[in-house]
Amino acid sequence: MTTSTPRAWWKTGVGLVLTGLMLFPVYWMINVSFTRDQDMRATPPHLFPTNGTLDGYRAVLDQQLPYLGTSFLVGLGTVVLTVALAAPAGYALAKLRPPGGPALSFVLLIAQMIPGIIMAMGFYAIFLTLGVLNTLPGLILADTTLAVPFGVLIFTAFMSGIPDELLQAAVVDGAGRLRTFWSVVLPVSRNSIVTVSLFAFLWSWSDFIFASTLAGGGDHQPITLGIYHYIGNNNQQWNAIMATAVVASVPAAVLLILAQRYVSMGVTAGAVKD
Amino acid sequence: MPPMTQSSTTARDRGEAAKTAPPGSPPSRVRRPNRWLAWGFLAPVTIYLLAFYAYPLYRNVELSLREYTVRSFVQGGAPFAGLDNYRTVLTDATFGPTLAHTVVFTAASLAFQFTIGMALALFFHQHFPLSGTLRALILVPWLLPLIVSASTWSWLLNSDSGLVNAALGVVGVDPVNWLTSPGWSLTSVIIANIWIGIPFNLVVLHSGLQAIPTEMYEASALDGATGWQRFWSITFPLLRPVSAITLLLGLVYTLKVFDIIWIMTRGGPTGSSATLATWSYRLGFGNLLPEFGPGAAVGNLLIVMALIAGLVYIRIERRQQLR
Amino acid sequence: MTGLSRRRRLAAIVVTALAAAAGSACSSSADDPAGGGAYVVWDPYPQFADDSDWVALLKKCGTSAGATVERTGYDTTDLTNKALLAAQQGNSPDVLIVDNPVISTLAEAGALTTTDDNKLDVSAMEKNLLGAGQSEGRTYGVPIGANTLALYYNKDLLTAAGVDPATITDWTSLSAALTTVKAKGKKGITFSAIGTEEGSFQFLPWFWGSGAQLTALDSPQAVSALTLWTDWLKQGHAPNSVINNTQTTSWQEFATGDYAFAENGTWQLANAEKLGFSYGTIAIPASAGGPAPAPTGGEFVSIPVQKNTGRYETSQKLVTCLTNADNLLTTDTTLSYVAPVAAVQDRQAAADPKLTVWVEAVRAAKGRTGDNLGTRYPKISEALWTAVQAALSGGKSPREALSAAQAAATTR
Repeated sequence: MTTSTPRAWWKTGVGLVLTGLMLFPVYWMINVSFTRDQDMRATPPHLFPTNGTLDGYRAVLDQQLPYLGTSFLVGLGTVVLTVALAAPAGYALAKLRPPGGPALSFVLLIAQMIPGIIMAMGFYAIFLTLGVLNTLPGLILADTTLAVPFGVLIFTAFMSGIPDELLQAAVVDGAGRLRTFWSVVLPVSRNSIVTVSLFAFLWSWSDFIFASTLAGGGDHQPITLGIYHYIGNNNQQWNAIMATAVVASVPAAVLLILAQRYVSMGVTAGAVKD
Repeated sequence: MPPMTQSSTTARDRGEAAKTAPPGSPPSRVRRPNRWLAWGFLAPVTIYLLAFYAYPLYRNVELSLREYTVRSFVQGGAPFAGLDNYRTVLTDATFGPTLAHTVVFTAASLAFQFTIGMALALFFHQHFPLSGTLRALILVPWLLPLIVSASTWSWLLNSDSGLVNAALGVVGVDPVNWLTSPGWSLTSVIIANIWIGIPFNLVVLHSGLQAIPTEMYEASALDGATGWQRFWSITFPLLRPVSAITLLLGLVYTLKVFDIIWIMTRGGPTGSSATLATWSYRLGFGNLLPEFGPGAAVGNLLIVMALIAGLVYIRIERRQQLR
Repeated sequence: MTGLSRRRRLAAIVVTALAAAAGSACSSSADDPAGGGAYVVWDPYPQFADDSDWVALLKKCGTSAGATVERTGYDTTDLTNKALLAAQQGNSPDVLIVDNPVISTLAEAGALTTTDDNKLDVSAMEKNLLGAGQSEGRTYGVPIGANTLALYYNKDLLTAAGVDPATITDWTSLSAALTTVKAKGKKGITFSAIGTEEGSFQFLPWFWGSGAQLTALDSPQAVSALTLWTDWLKQGHAPNSVINNTQTTSWQEFATGDYAFAENGTWQLANAEKLGFSYGTIAIPASAGGPAPAPTGGEFVSIPVQKNTGRYETSQKLVTCLTNADNLLTTDTTLSYVAPVAAVQDRQAAADPKLTVWVEAVRAAKGRTGDNLGTRYPKISEALWTAVQAALSGGKSPREALSAAQAAATTR
């Protein structure tokens, strides 16, 4: 691959500008996180936090770190459960064409349209009976509903692109459908697994409504609830709210970049092997 | 499952199995486990759906068919009201404008999210230094809780102390009341929603691009095709299934969006940025005295809209496969 | 074959996880209000962490009532839904602290016990504050603290502009002061006119101060109040952003030091000390002079209905402890609220003379759901804030907006 020609670096420049534009609101959030109350609504607004304050961060680092851990656990649990449920289903719908398959895809589509708050209310009743209110597995089960329909539809779309010859070759080799799925379909679908995992993680990371309804009373509260420390019933501490969001997104962003590195290496390796 | 579909699909299945079975192998060996296993693969997700979606969906339908007050919501015994709630909602003076806003919001968001997402995906698909890192960074907005990202947008768009108006002032344009004038509020929430939706489109389309074998491009490069020709003759057709699902999912998610609008404008001023989703929320949960029935009815109308979109999608898919 | 066994293993893991979760939940008594000595308390103060004075007070009161307290702080808008849902599922907390207008909704839902059932003594509470928790002669809760609205002013700015705040006693003198300030190149007044309950809360002092009643939103007095606000926006005395301002945003605007006045609440007192300029407060003037009645804000402590009615006795002890004079003083000082009991109010004013204005304002304040409006109030309030938004954004004239509001409030 040509990686360091001048032309490629020119593209990096454009990429930086585009990313900068997309992330400008994020910069603004960081700016506010350092801003004193009296400067928050200054006209014209301050582009940089001159006379900045660390009050927001002081509050956050004192109180928020345990919430981050919970968010990570819930995010990882959601990823695992989502992929475990959605990947086989996507394979079946894309390649095995079972009777009633289209109807199932249709149900999945509709399932996503149920408003989150109605889902949360339904879960509350179910979880109360199951006894999983305010627990990590409960929150993982609930957050998984955000990503499973998406996962199945994405896997179906991507797996239908796998050449039939590849699968038939495996069958000829004497592999059963399960073997084929495990040792042919899954490795080839690494790309879509990553996409689904990514969104499963992101959705569970930023979920508020399930967390509040189903885990609000427990010891396991994710970061989205931690933010509500700074949203009192009459008053909001915006620098602390924004600081929480910054502190919450830094480790997750690092994770994204690392995952990204790993994936692009993996994908290239896979492509070469095929 | 009704027996009719079962028998009719068996025939289709047999044809299919015969088609996919490699020549020389006895067809029965492949066909039998095929159907069996297909549902074996689907079983976990089916059980999951039944366990966790059936009840909320039933609840939402039931809420819309009864006349719920706060009292009967808690104590039970709400009288059956048939389609009264739907009638109430459909004849409400706010229904027409709200439906129009929903259509505009959804269409504009989808068009821009998809186009920009596609452009960025194509751009980042080229390998250049940092391309992967930058692409990962564009996802950062998705890590933010919506209350933070939506509030940041209302910060930027504030009439008096917002950065956007300050920037407009620098180039000599009069300030715009982005969030507080009925003429602009819908545009403002659309802009914020497009921003939030771009990463989704970028990532899904980008993985679609990666699935296209590089040999295809190499072949066309030998033919001397330009970049633009290559896009229309190779990339776009091969990306069609992924594009279709991206648009369909985008449609579903956009129809459902309420928190961004709710945090930025509360659907106002005077309903000028209200969509069916915010209206449903306002009726059912955004008020001191909830009206669950009409709220659920509006929610179900949204589900019907998604259903129609899904039917259109399936029809198009069928036609593609027949071709 | 490996695939199959792996799938089985996965299923086994999921089942085990579920079972483990179920087991751990059963052993924790927080989810089961009927068992053990744990009493569940929900409050709308998520800003108070477990090491705060408020939680310490809850624990102390729990101990003295012979119970351990399991407390959760929820976002206030979320708490109403959560309380209704919990009541529906028979999982209500033992003690529920909610924003006062929510009490009538929860009472209507049959989710709260009355003082007849729970034997709470509410005789010490000020009548105008208790009103928000009463419906058809029954009392559903005790106020834990009250707040209301007044006008904060920027002393430095007014002095420089030559305006004496003491001369502002009616709408005419207030508008004149705004004109003077504007002429000096400063900004006039900021408030919150957002399309939620917060917007109605902020408009009510002007609405009531005009002599209007919530039962007639389209009265000439009501139109005059909305015209006052609309004119301020048109003349540039108030920023356009008020249409979308929460009370916090409006406070941030005032904190820049550019604004002469801000309509805001008792809860900002602690933040007011951190301002970069000296400030003062005056009562919101009525149209014809004198202080306008402002709406009461603040939370109520209530005891939700339980299957096991034997629990009320301990809950009652807990609530009595929370609302005794000394504890009210502590709680209301941390919340920057005014106590709901006259004797404690006097102690507050004696300790901090700046509170005197607020104590008087609270004594003159009116409950929103009072006047026996009860659950009719939410409908009226929604119509009212919609009208305010319509007039301020220029969509309708104040008169048209309020006629539409009256029509909307009286249907159904």
